[in-house]
Amino acid sequence: MQIAYYPGCSLHASSELYDIQCRKVFGQLGLELKELEDWNCCGATSASKNDDFLAVALPARNLGIADASGLSELLIPCSSCYNRTMVSQKILSEDPGLKDKINSELSKKVEGKIRISSILDLLVSKANLGGIVEKSTKKLEGLKPACYYGCLLTRFPCDIKISDNVENPQGMETVCKALGADPIDWSYKTDCCGASAAINDADTSLFLMSQIIKDGFARGANCFVATCPMCQFNLDMYQEQVSERYEIRKKLPVFFITELLGIAMGFTPHELQIDRHFTDSLGLLKELKLI
Amino acid sequence: MKGTAVLQFETGKSQSLIQEVTVRSGQNLLACYQCRRCAAGCPVGEETGVTPDRLIRMIMFGEREEALNNLLVWKCVACYTCGTRCPNNIQTARINETLKQMSKEAHTEPLLPKVAAFHDAFLKSTSHFGRVNEIEFIGLYEIRNAKRELKSGGGWKAAIDEIKNNVKLGIPMMKMKRIHFRPDKIKNLSEIKRLYKKAGDKSGG
Repeated sequence: MQIAYYPGCSLHASSELYDIQCRKVFGQLGLELKELEDWNCCGATSASKNDDFLAVALPARNLGIADASGLSELLIPCSSCYNRTMVSQKILSEDPGLKDKINSELSKKVEGKIRISSILDLLVSKANLGGIVEKSTKKLEGLKPACYYGCLLTRFPCDIKISDNVENPQGMETVCKALGADPIDWSYKTDCCGASAAINDADTSLFLMSQIIKDGFARGANCFVATCPMCQFNLDMYQEQVSERYEIRKKLPVFFITELLGIAMGFTPHELQIDRHFTDSLGLLKELKLI
Repeated sequence: MKGTAVLQFETGKSQSLIQEVTVRSGQNLLACYQCRRCAAGCPVGEETGVTPDRLIRMIMFGEREEALNNLLVWKCVACYTCGTRCPNNIQTARINETLKQMSKEAHTEPLLPKVAAFHDAFLKSTSHFGRVNEIEFIGLYEIRNAKRELKSGGGWKAAIDEIKNNVKLGIPMMKMKRIHFRPDKIKNLSEIKRLYKKAGDKSGG
């Protein structure tokens, strides 16, 4: 089955590995990702801080392309892209004047019919139907991930309901359990890593990350798992700096959920490009004899 | 607000500020009954001193200058925890975005200029290719920071230190082949340009 796919800028650049993994893993699960033709940047978290029109209009162009694709569902793996596109669709459904104003500039008009799915929306339904167990060739025994959701997968700046629990989501745990891993219970799963503050307000961001990493250790996790490329990048890339500043002696690998799925499905770390992490992730997988 | 011995309340001043922020952010500030659930969940509240409830109160008192220039507005990480927990559905993160826009329109120097420079540079880069090129974007961001350091008398050393910091981060990224030099340009860029034009000349810059 084909579904529409919006990778977003991260998955075409610094988190290209996530794009590669998504295609492989969903392919195994019987979903072919059809990339939106000529998609544009959604404006991420920056547009709304400068201009409310662009914050809706940029994702709207992608929604128009998705509506014209003839497909019924759109996968957006990046939490920021997912959040902004959901918000745009919601605002346009409530504001026909704004919709007309934006549509008058678009060659492919927003109709509002495409169903937007986060990566967990798709994976949880696959897990519940047994699809993940069926495609797994090994169990991820010994892996104790702290499932890290971050902000934008569950919380929105306007009234949007999600199927998971907002304060204590379980979707990622459901997927991890289907893979044979043993996700831990912890307190910082929906706390913020600082996102872009890592660049423009580093002290704030490093502090937020230190709390997340410390709680992961305190609860007995041996790795993090994330779905958001920004969360994954921050915890992975800045862990060295955080550890130094906050005297955390050990490191925790930060996996994309697609890496855990891929390993369980029998892909090699090289095929999945897990060797492009900043914090070593292969050591743990070898130690647990998963690769 | 801390040092105010007697509360000063000017109806006209506060009405115009409340109205402007309410309309632009879409948040009903008047519904706030100061329960402080937002404050309890704010990840930067301890650092900023001003918590979402305090900010709303500031706006109610018509304190325009303080509302645009406090640490909460500029350190808010837009995690949306305050708004998700607010019993009256007030999204202070949205209010903070509105206040950032108002600060820019008033041409006041942002309290944390790097935050403003970051978001400006991001949108500028998007306007060039239709997608963000991380190298161009960080370059634009650093040029803005360096210019500001020079203008404010920080001198070349401060300007160069600022740039060095991000180059240092670029090295591990290069090692892991996570930097892409070739811009990812969309075909129908004119459509993006038209959307920017319709937005007015407020963005990027």
